[in-house]
Order: sequence, then C-alpha cells, then structure tokens
Amino acid sequence: MRLTTAQRRLLGKGTPAQRTSMRLLLTVARLADADRLVPITSAHVSGASYKMIGDPGLEFLEDFARDARVRVPTSVNPLGADLAQWRELGVPETFAVKQGRIASAYEAMGARPTYSCTPYDELPRPAFGEHLAWAESNAVCFANSVLGARTNREGGPSALAAAIVGATPDYGLHRDEGRQPTVIVDVRTKPQGIDYSLVGLVAGERVGDGLPYFRGFRATEADLKWLGAALASSGSCAMFHLAGITPEAHRARLRGLKVLSITRADLRETERRYTDGTDADLIAFGSPQLSAAELRDVATLVDRTPPRIPVWVFTSRAVRAADPDSVAAIERHGGRVLADTCLEVTLLEHRFGTVATPSGKGAYYLPSLCHQKVILDDVRDLLERYA
Amino acid sequence: MRIRARPIAPGRATGKALVHPHPFSFVGGVDPTTGAVLDRGASSPGASVVGRVFAFPHGKGSTVGSYVLYGLGRRGVGPAAIVNVRAEAIVAVGAVLAGVPMVDGVDVGGIRSGDRITVDGDRGAVELPEVRARPVVSAVLRNRGRILIVRRSEAVGSFQGHWSAVSGYIEGREDPRDRAVQEVREETGLRRLVLRASGQPVLARTDTTVYVVHPFLFDVASRAVRLDWENIDHAWVRPEDLGRYDTVPRLEDVVASVLPVADSNPAPPSRRSGKMIRRPSPG
Repeated sequence: MRLTTAQRRLLGKGTPAQRTSMRLLLTVARLADADRLVPITSAHVSGASYKMIGDPGLEFLEDFARDARVRVPTSVNPLGADLAQWRELGVPETFAVKQGRIASAYEAMGARPTYSCTPYDELPRPAFGEHLAWAESNAVCFANSVLGARTNREGGPSALAAAIVGATPDYGLHRDEGRQPTVIVDVRTKPQGIDYSLVGLVAGERVGDGLPYFRGFRATEADLKWLGAALASSGSCAMFHLAGITPEAHRARLRGLKVLSITRADLRETERRYTDGTDADLIAFGSPQLSAAELRDVATLVDRTPPRIPVWVFTSRAVRAADPDSVAAIERHGGRVLADTCLEVTLLEHRFGTVATPSGKGAYYLPSLCHQKVILDDVRDLLERYA
Repeated sequence: MRIRARPIAPGRATGKALVHPHPFSFVGGVDPTTGAVLDRGASSPGASVVGRVFAFPHGKGSTVGSYVLYGLGRRGVGPAAIVNVRAEAIVAVGAVLAGVPMVDGVDVGGIRSGDRITVDGDRGAVELPEVRARPVVSAVLRNRGRILIVRRSEAVGSFQGHWSAVSGYIEGREDPRDRAVQEVREETGLRRLVLRASGQPVLARTDTTVYVVHPFLFDVASRAVRLDWENIDHAWVRPEDLGRYDTVPRLEDVVASVLPVADSNPAPPSRRSGKMIRRPSPG
C-alpha cells in the first residue's frame, strides 16, 4: 500500500477518529486489492435514519463525533422522520429524540445539516472526472453515469472514514477499466413517465452487479435519475451508460459483450409483479427526493385532481423552502411535503398498510423496509384512480 | 500449527475458538448487550462470543452488523478476534471499528470450538499450538468428465478402507506440485498428466491433527490404472456421485476447490481472489 506522508501521519499520530478512519480505509483497500488512496472532493454518508441503524448506529456515531471532523464537503442521507413535523405525523417521541441525536452527531462532525438522497441536486455539483466517496446507491449511480464523476458504492462507515481522511481507496469505478460496460441492454420500446423506473427494475434484476450499456431510447437527466435509482435497487449496479446520452458512453468497448433486450411486455409484467396491493391508504412521491421541477409538477397535478387519500411528497429542505406555493397547493388537499427524510427510510408502518407510488426504488424496498403492500403506477394514473 | 492468512483488521489476540460453520449476521445473530449467540446454526447451546476467537465462513445480512460489532466491543462483550474464509465489508468494517483483530483466507473447517487459537491481524497468521499440521497433497485425476478415487489399503497409516483421491505427505520443503505428480505415478502408474488447477488448501481435521490438503486437478489421457500397495481398489466416478462413497474427510470440498462443476459449499475462490490467499506453512 502506497500512502502519502500526510496519510501516514493520520494513521500514526492522528486523533482516535482519524486513526480509526485510516485503518478502515486500509482494510477496505485490502479487500479490494487497491494499492493507494485517491483524494476526493466530497463525501455523501448513508446511515442516518434511526429506523435503519437503530441504537447500535446511534451509539457509534455519538462516540465517533467526539473527535471526528470531516475534511471535505460532506452531505448526509435522509433521516427517519421530518424533524420539523414529526408530532403531526404520529412519530413516537423516543424515535424523534434519538433521530435528533443522530443528526446532531453528524452536524458535530461538520457535515452539512441537510438530509438528502439527491446530493447531485445540491451545489456545487461534482464535475466530470472528480473522485468522490458517496454512499446511497441512487446518488452513486447518478454521479457516475450522468455526471461522469467517480465513486464506488460506499457503505456508511467507509464513506464517513473517507470524509474524515479526505481520500478513498483507488479501485473499481475510480479507474478507467472499472467504468467499462459488462453487458449491452437493448430497450425495444420508447419509455415515458414511469417506464424509466420499470426499465431500471428489469435491468437491475437481469444485470445484478454488472455495468449495463443501454441502447435504443432517449432520456432527460430527470428520467435517468429514476432509471438509475431503480437499477441500483433491484441490482447492485453503481453505473450505467446510455448510448448517445451519458458522457462516457462513447468510450465504451462493446465488442464481445452479451446483449439483453427489454420489451414493452417486460415493463408491463414488471409493473404487475411489483404491485401486490389493491387499495392504497397513502400516495407517496419520492425515493429519490423530488427536485424543484418535480415538486412543481406534482403540485399542479394534485391541485387539478385532488386525491381522497393522503399524499406524502418527499423532497429536500432547500426545494421545500424555495417553493411555498407548491407546498401550499399540496397541503390544501390534505397532503404533506416532507423534507430531510425519504420514503423507505421514514417511519410510516405505524400508520399505513398499502402505498401507491410511481417510484421503482420505493416499490422495491417498501415491502421489506416498511412492511407495506405496494401499487406501482404512473403519477397521473394514480391521481386519477384516487381522485 | 501456524497458518498464514490475509490480515484484515490489525491487532493480535488469543482465545478459545468458537466455530460457526455457516455465514453469520451480527444483526439478529448475537445479543448486542451480552454477546450471547442467538443464531444457533451449529454453535452449541448457550454459546457466547465474549472473549472467543470467532470463526465463520463470511458475514451476511444488514450493514448495521458493523455497528453491532462495535457496540459489543465497547461493552467488553465482543469476540477476542475473528477468522473468516472470505471477509466481506460488513464484518471487516465492524472489526476495525471495534478494534478486533481479524484475518481471512483460512478454511474454518480445520478449527474446532474449544481450540486454543491466536490470531495475528498485523502480519496475517493463525496459530493453533495444540494442533499438529500434516501437509498433504491431493491429486484429482480427470478423464472425460469422471474423476479417479482409490480405496486405501490396511497398510497405510490413516483412513484405512476409505475412498480418497491420490494423496501423500509433503516432506520437508518440497514443492507440493512435484509431490502430487510423484504420488500419481507411484499410486496409479499414469504418466501423461496435464495440470489444470490448484485450489486453496482444505483443512481436514481429526482430534489433534489438521491435514493441510493442497488440491490439484490433472487431466489424464488414459483410465488404465495400475495400483500399488497403498490402495486396494479404484473407480472412475462422476464428481456429483462422491457422496455415495465412504470417503476420507472433506474429499468433496477438495474436489470442489479445483472443479467448479462439483461446486457444493463453500464456493471455491475465483482466480482473482485465489491469488490473495496464501498457502499455509506447516509447523
């Protein structure tokens, strides 16, 4: 392992948190056969929802925060509740208190106090070719695929250690050869709306931990956000290419790769397979959190066809603060716009049993993480069905 | 016995072994406040990880397992050290956070609960001072999809009457591969051998001895076998039929380590990870 003088100093003479972080990165490097650490420009840490990490995680973070300080700009994944409106949502007080302690621990370490699964929507965005240490699978997939930045699929502790040290093991997606596709996926239909989530779900199931090269359709950045989030849920993909669209697709070497195809029938079959509920008691938008434009669109639709069951919309704190009109429109019809949390890491099993959502990622995780039945359907269809 | 291993988390510790023969999750697998093992698997009832050298194939389950391991260490009810066949990130990260020494690349089938064992996570080694190591080679001969097994005579020193692959002790510092080729010639008379694979050592355990088995796969051009005094019978069998024979310990694992088609459990290391797993050294 080749370490710089500064890294060697952290390992030998750093604070306890710095020494632990260095040891942790060296262990990850050894598991991956990496021989050096590469400097990063930002970190994004997962493991912030009390529902997910529980008392063991809270205990570690509070201990670690005593002397851990991040060296690079660091954002944190969504919490298990919106701390500004947990009472109204029926979140137990013990849960909210412990959730608050987790947030305080991260803030004490110097992390940004916004809890978002879409750090790529915050400024400054990572530039093409920058090295990052991001956890949160959808953010990893977006950063690699759409922005051309470089990050492996980190776990919470390894991303945090990288934030403390300012570097991450140099292997996998940090290296040119790790960004080459392993399989070609021909999409034989023109996706629109929810189809991008469905393409992601099917491809993830078939590709597993591979790196797919998609052909045959066009997509906006927003479409790719939903595709990548689903792809990284049903598969453990950390990157994809889309011919003619994503920034590194032209560098892909395709000779000899296996070719899979996805048809319209595959998409419809997937939608049916992820739908096991019949009557929803909540409509949820988010997972990942909605962007400013997506919040505006949902608010317009909710205003036009107000649903008779509650609507929860997940977005970031900044987006909610910037658009009080959309928030008011959704709340006028009994909905909620929640920030600093997201669909499957939030506490909703205490109130609901079946969730209707257009999110492929949400549909994938809701049964296991929230004990929910799911209705997976397009935004417009859902709102009309529950009008 | 000293086995070389890959260092995963730094430090050195000694304790009694606790062997769990299945993949393990610290979430749900252990009481986070007492260290009691909840996932019974094949651990003895009432087992606890406290102060033990905890040996299992590899981690599984929720990533919160890293934090559970940290919490055990913080309360003083964690394992003294961890030994894995193949480390993955959840347990490796937890071991670092908890300050628990850890190594991998060790066949935990060679360790028994209760063995005194020392783990060196700095240099990468496992020591079992009360256990003797006998390094041996095991040559799997293949001809048109079938492999050769031989039945050991009453004249040999161990496992008389059991079926095995062609095998023999490694003497001194000799190259295991040379020994394997020589054993094949002596025990079968077969001469035209093509080496196809060598596997991670398999540890076949008896009470006080570990046979450190170096597996090799050879293709042979003929099935015309001429036995010597060491064996009384031979058969060319399909790898999947090995279970029907009364064999020496772990013969199926030895075969699986060089023949992916006979893959049962645990998964043989890939070429890539295989190169990181060091050979054990006797003594």
